Amino acid sequence: MNALNTPEVGKYLNEYFVSSFQKVATFKIVGAQKQGGNVASYFCAPDGRVLHVVAGPVDSPTMLREAKWVVETTEKAMKEAKGDGAAFKAIFRKAHAERLKNESGLIVEAVTYDLVVEQDPKAALTYNDPTGQPLAPKLPPPPIDGPDVTLRAKQDAEAKAPGAREVMDRKGGRWQLGNQGRVNMLLAAHAMDKIENLYGTVFQDILGEKISTKPVEVVTPFPWVNRKN
Amino acid sequence: MRRLLWCTVVVLLLAPLVGLGSAYGSGEKDKAEAAACGSHGTQVTFVDTPKEAAAQAKKEQKLVFVLHVSGNFEDPRFT
Repeated sequence: MNALNTPEVGKYLNEYFVSSFQKVATFKIVGAQKQGGNVASYFCAPDGRVLHVVAGPVDSPTMLREAKWVVETTEKAMKEAKGDGAAFKAIFRKAHAERLKNESGLIVEAVTYDLVVEQDPKAALTYNDPTGQPLAPKLPPPPIDGPDVTLRAKQDAEAKAPGAREVMDRKGGRWQLGNQGRVNMLLAAHAMDKIENLYGTVFQDILGEKISTKPVEVVTPFPWVNRKN
Repeated sequence: MRRLLWCTVVVLLLAPLVGLGSAYGSGEKDKAEAAACGSHGTQVTFVDTPKEAAAQAKKEQKLVFVLHVSGNFEDPRFT
């Protein structure tokens, strides 16, 4: 991942975060061609609850900006919440709703209480492994109230964002929202949820990659080519 | 002459073992260096598991950064 190769990004992440990685999906190598594959960066509290997510590969300035936003928002929330966990969560969810409004022009009301999402392995509201094993719940984003009329120009920019596609508001109006906007929308209702609850929705619903416990699948379509050599 | 021949045989027999030993030693050294570094070709230091990252973050009063990837992050061909 190129963004992590920059000394500035490395220095900042090593100073404020302890980093780790997990394999959550697979991709195919057909011949020399790679099919699928993606990355999601989670910024979490030390207990594993998610503060922010960067969906998909980004450049170094974006990664640095997002990491700094997490640190600054955490410091601000800690100061304002004064040890109250519920207040800290509410501040973070409101911060994501605010970012969504500022960056895409769409308005959602931050959900400041915890939604009960039951995981039934037979229900359609669960992301499953190809074997049928339940991996993560599907988390509903908060409903969109509509665009802020003063920020309509943001919608034009959002239409060009990575992964931009249509979303519907409460009244059936159709708007454009990219991957990062979808992350902010999701986190306006689910920030401070556990990473194991969020990753299915991030990887599968936002990035469009199937989560899996499988390793990389290497497919050689013409195996006889190597045999001749 | 016979003694010289005997010494040569002994040296020839031991040479592969000494070679194997030094090769094993350098492999272990590489592994140890890789484990200590843990940056996987980036400027970021990674610990082995998110659980370990959480424990260390709590101790050092830091936040946790977790990268979710497809494929094998350790192998640049597979990410």
